This record gives sequence, C-alpha cells and structure tokens, in this order.
Amino acid sequence: MSPADDDLLPRLLAGEDRAFRELIGAYQGAMRAVAYAIVGSRHADEVVQDAWLAVVRSLNGFQGRASLKTWLLTITANTAKSRLRHVRREVLLDDLPAPHGTVGGERFASDGHWLTPPSAWHEDSPEALLNESELRECLEKTIASLSELQGSVLVLRERQGLELEEICNLLDISLSNVRVLLHRARLKVFATLEHFEETGQC
Amino acid sequence: MLSCKELVAHSSDFLDGQLSFRERLAVRTHLAMCRHCRRFIRQMRLSQAVLRRLPDTPIPELDALSARLAKQRRDDLVS
Repeated sequence: MSPADDDLLPRLLAGEDRAFRELIGAYQGAMRAVAYAIVGSRHADEVVQDAWLAVVRSLNGFQGRASLKTWLLTITANTAKSRLRHVRREVLLDDLPAPHGTVGGERFASDGHWLTPPSAWHEDSPEALLNESELRECLEKTIASLSELQGSVLVLRERQGLELEEICNLLDISLSNVRVLLHRARLKVFATLEHFEETGQC
Repeated sequence: MLSCKELVAHSSDFLDGQLSFRERLAVRTHLAMCRHCRRFIRQMRLSQAVLRRLPDTPIPELDALSARLAKQRRDDLVS
C-alpha cells in the first residue's frame, strides 16, 4: 500500500534516504506505465529517471492540492511529452494478437447467445490462482504482448487504481478510447486465465 | 433484450460504472436470467483481482536511486 502523503512529505523535504526509497517503491511502477504509454519502451526508463530529478528539484513547490501520486504522474507525463518531437495526434488503437486470444465473435451464435460459454475455474480466489508460478509468468507474457498504450492503460487502471478520467488527462486520450483499450486488454487477460484453468498450462 | 455477446461488449463499462442507468438496468436484467454471463462477470472480476495482486517486478538499483535523490535534495537545501 502506498504510504500516507503527510507522513512522507516532511521526510522527503528533509532529504531522508528511506523516504525516497518508499516513494520510489510506491510510485515508480505507475510512473513507468505513464512514460511507457507516451514515449514507448525504448525511452521509458530515461523519462522516469528525468522525472525523478524534476520531482526532487520541484519538491519545494509541491502544494499538497493534489496527492503526491497525482503530482508525480503529472510530472512524468510532462517529462515524457516534452521528449516527443511531434505530439501524437492519432491514438494508436492497435489491437495486437495475444498469446491466448480474446473473447471473440466465434464464442457466440448468430443470435448473440454463448456458443462456447465460460467454463468453471478450479480456483475462485486470486491468491489461489496466483499460487501457480506458471500462471504468473503466463500473465506477464500476455501483458507484454499488449501494445504500449493498451498495456499501460491496463496497468494504470487495474494495478495502480487510477480513475479513467485521470488516465485520459495524463495520456491525452479520450474517455471512449480509454474504455476501448481497457476492454480489449481485459478480455485478453481473461482469455489467458481461462486457457490456463482449462489446460493447466500456458 | 441484451444478448450475451452485447453483455460481454458492455462488461468493462459495467465494471467501471460507465453505463447509463438504462444500460445498467439492461445488464442487471440479463444477469438475473443468464448463468453463463453471471459466471463471465464473476470471472472478469476475478481476473481484475488477480492482476491487482500480481507481484511487482523488483525495481533495479532502488537503493542507489533513492540515495542519489535524497542527496540531491539535501544539496538543494544547503545551497
């Protein structure tokens, strides 16, 4: 869980090593997802490094109007955008094939009823499912197969708990595009879990 | 009446609370009658929970980075 801002902030201002460690541990994953969505995998790490330096430099100016997390992600998005020579005008809604496909039209009859309905899964708690190390690796492969934007939107929503509007603002994409990206990504994750539950392998 | 295929197409918006009142009602009505779709939504929620709990990949050089940033901050304080 992320540390409380009002606990962390005074220690950051004082330059305490451990406070920075907690900050990085809590938020670097989200920062990386934002950078990844805007500049792609090749420059994402550089952008995150630059963003951290910008964060330290502007720490005095942090007003506490937004949360630390929102502030960090805004700095990351701005750092990433300033790196782009041309602002992307079209959102890439590329839908790349995933290792276990998706829940596609072939699952339904022409009247829209299930042809191949979802089968029962052996486990019904996330902890039990994740006990299988092979499933963890399998999910990571599926996430890695997503386009940069699709993967980032999924991570920001499902793992980092951002609201859809926050994702729109950070990445400069419309709400309807965020919804499309998220839905497609979720169906691929679903297909991976379903495949694993049916076959016991990736 | 919403078909199963349409329900699946609306499922993310349903989970994110992005549906209008009428759409939400249509989804709930369908779910009350269709066990396949109830299972699908349950498994979608489970997929969300699994993703949330997937362990983070460790951050490379966490100690070095935090030490460097903290030092930068202390230097800024002095100057």
